[in-house]
Amino acid sequence: MTAPAGRRSGRRVLSWLLALVLLGVIGFVVLRDVGGRDPDPPAVTVVTGVIGSEKLAFFADERVRAVFAAHGLEIRADPAGSRQIATTVPLDRYDFAFPSSSPAADKLLAQHPAARTYAPFSSPMAVATFTPIVDLLTQAGVVAPGSTTLDVRRYLELATSGTRWDQLPGNTAFPARKDVLLSTTAPCQSNSAAMYLGIASYVANADGVVADQAAVAQVTPSVQPLFRDQGYLPSTTEVLFEDYLSGGMGRVPMALVYEAQYLAEALSPDPLLPADGQLLYPSPTIFSRHTLVPLPPGATGSASCSRPTLSSPRSPPSTASGPPTPAPSRRRSGTAACRNQPRSSTSWNRRRSTPWREC
Amino acid sequence: MRRIATAAVAVLALVAGCGGDGGDTGPGLGVGPENADVTLRVLAGSELLDLEPVLADAAAATGVRIELDPVGTLDGAEAVASGAAETDHDAIWFSSNRYLALQPEAQARLGTAVDIMSSPVVLGLRRSVAERVGWSGRPVTWAEIAAAAGARQFTYGMTDPSASNSGFSAVVAVATALVGSGSALTLEQAESTAPALRDFFGAQTLSAGSSGFLQDAFVRRVTGADPGEPVDGLINYESVLLGMNAAGTLPEPLELIRPADGIVTAEYPFTVLAAASPEARDAHRRLVEHLRTPDVQRAIAELTHRQPAVPGVLPAPAGVAVELPFPSQADVVDALLTSYFDKLRRPSRTIYVLDTSGSMEGDERIGALRRALAGLAGADASLTGQFRRFRGREQVTLLPFSDSPSSPQTFTVAADDTGPDRQAIADAGAALQPRGGTAIYESLEAAYRVAEQQIAADPDRFTSIVLMTDGENTAGSGLQDFQVFAATRAPALRGVPVFCVVFGESDAGEMEEVAELTGGRTFDARTAPLAEVFKEIRGYV
Repeated sequence: MTAPAGRRSGRRVLSWLLALVLLGVIGFVVLRDVGGRDPDPPAVTVVTGVIGSEKLAFFADERVRAVFAAHGLEIRADPAGSRQIATTVPLDRYDFAFPSSSPAADKLLAQHPAARTYAPFSSPMAVATFTPIVDLLTQAGVVAPGSTTLDVRRYLELATSGTRWDQLPGNTAFPARKDVLLSTTAPCQSNSAAMYLGIASYVANADGVVADQAAVAQVTPSVQPLFRDQGYLPSTTEVLFEDYLSGGMGRVPMALVYEAQYLAEALSPDPLLPADGQLLYPSPTIFSRHTLVPLPPGATGSASCSRPTLSSPRSPPSTASGPPTPAPSRRRSGTAACRNQPRSSTSWNRRRSTPWREC
Repeated sequence: MRRIATAAVAVLALVAGCGGDGGDTGPGLGVGPENADVTLRVLAGSELLDLEPVLADAAAATGVRIELDPVGTLDGAEAVASGAAETDHDAIWFSSNRYLALQPEAQARLGTAVDIMSSPVVLGLRRSVAERVGWSGRPVTWAEIAAAAGARQFTYGMTDPSASNSGFSAVVAVATALVGSGSALTLEQAESTAPALRDFFGAQTLSAGSSGFLQDAFVRRVTGADPGEPVDGLINYESVLLGMNAAGTLPEPLELIRPADGIVTAEYPFTVLAAASPEARDAHRRLVEHLRTPDVQRAIAELTHRQPAVPGVLPAPAGVAVELPFPSQADVVDALLTSYFDKLRRPSRTIYVLDTSGSMEGDERIGALRRALAGLAGADASLTGQFRRFRGREQVTLLPFSDSPSSPQTFTVAADDTGPDRQAIADAGAALQPRGGTAIYESLEAAYRVAEQQIAADPDRFTSIVLMTDGENTAGSGLQDFQVFAATRAPALRGVPVFCVVFGESDAGEMEEVAELTGGRTFDARTAPLAEVFKEIRGYV
């Protein structure tokens, strides 16, 4: 699923920055739980968390571990899909959960109230791809010449008409008998795919947030195939990104990942990006705020018996249902800010109201 | 609704496994300190046993004792879905979790899953055959392969898709490439019986319930150690085919054909169960970290020929290998398998030589036999039962024997409505009555005579004999006579194996001998229920 130790022994810049930010957060959690004991000399306190998989490389980084260790902390992190964290993962074994977005954190908070949450960093969504694919997308009008912006509307036109790579005019670089589809994770399990669902449904709804059943019915035919036609989907974004890195163009021609994953790889001393790797930014896009939720000792795992369901009528999330998304009182800012369309956002509600029966 | 649920469970069954064997629950593997603080008990596909040296190092490095319990694919999946797996295991490790993912109940029983290595399912062809059909050194598509198969330009062996993930992946890849539209299969496409599919599956002349048996049978036939007709190729994991080439036991190497229009890859996720203890989860975490260090990844690649899961450990393979979409809907997978078994694959012909001597008296003997037949006829609603029942178009002959062979009863199951014919077989099984002695070899020869007539009338079938006896031979000819018979069989009968069920007081040594002589194998029903053994044999016929 992820890369506990294998690659990325060095992701210098990001790792350091993130470590410093996180240190404060986790230190607070632990100190609160142990009653503010003097941390010097540091007795090792083991803190166990379940995290969005894309952050595993960060927690596995030796230097990050060293910083935590210097403060008497040992972090043990299990990777999982962020939606799984919010729904099926039994949380009673963990001290904290760290899903990849505030909507997922909100879902989790409904079951496990916490005094406050922490959002130390955010990342926009991005498309990791290859130069020949970018060229093909440029010819097809999905990417403007020389640009790094992927026009989601043009892409949806291509994807929803069932166009295959080998049907693109003049395509000799990648004549695969396979639909032109962004590879994603499973939207029921993973935040990045849920973010993508937010973007796609927004565009399919004529740049409007899908906020009611009528809109759902209208966008479902064009949005559902984006996932269904891919077949089996990985449950975490780290697995998807790893498939991109190791499987090449034939396996994952375009992967919807977090910008941070690609940049971290690019900044590592020994980057494993493909020689012809390229990063595109969807337009419109969404920022995903990684949100840490402290869990009370012995949290009862009521989430463990709930199945992931996007259409369940259970308790409303703490985010608002339509744009603009007001910030929940306990946090400083809202869920997901749209880059090109600041008025839009992907709130949990909208995704919940999508009749995603497979979930 | 219910049907879909059943289908999902059944699919599950297929799944878990992988590659693995349909029931070769041989001895497990235990590595690491006996007095370790923590032992990780892993339900695993038997193919994972090839990792023993790597796992021994991993156990030493992490202080975790590792116990691998190899289990049949279907059994493993059934255990995960029902929750039985978590009562005595901490983790599972099969070639794929894709099928488990089709079932929310099973999915929720899985914890962290970490991919360790990967291998695609490809076609390996003897080099001379690959050159003959013109596939050496150039891209080949599934459509070309299907056309050549339809013209019988080559033959191949493949595992049973209900027993092993390699066979299942092959069925998915072929159907997706030949009738798919570029996206994951739809229900309608999964039900397709397009000529290209029939062509492709028509060239399969060797089937097996386990990957290990398939390889052995291929090698024995190609070297002449087995009297059956040599097979031109195998569909299996690339790693298995590379391993066969490296072993040096083949007269000529296998050329690996990776179809240009797409493959399906197994990714071997090492998965801790959600119910595992914190200690076990921590042990899993440490093991996975160790297994994914670059040196260990290289060692795995060298030892098993599988590709490392960690990017950058080895140079990426040249070329663009297109990965086909894998269906994610249970009803699609169910329809695909049902279509394969009942309509697409070469139909089976199975002659059941059944001991009804006096010693078979009693519920645990004749009763067990009647239940075993009824189970195959459709009474078994379990995961495994669904795809192991008598199939559409299959020809089934019951040949009961005691002092001498009785007259055979032959049934042919309709392709579309299999129920009535299956019921007729169950009724015939229920009518079996025990009495008299045990004329094993005379009856076996009678079965071969039946097979000869049936083959002459209808040659294009997989033909096998299943021999079930609960005692030693007490009447008619003996093993030596059968050895002479086997050596002088008509050419058409040389490829007909005998699968022997060792039951009650039967002579296990003689049964081994019969299996060896005919290219079959034995199954032990002294330690497993007779119905389970009958079901396991279905993967081979």
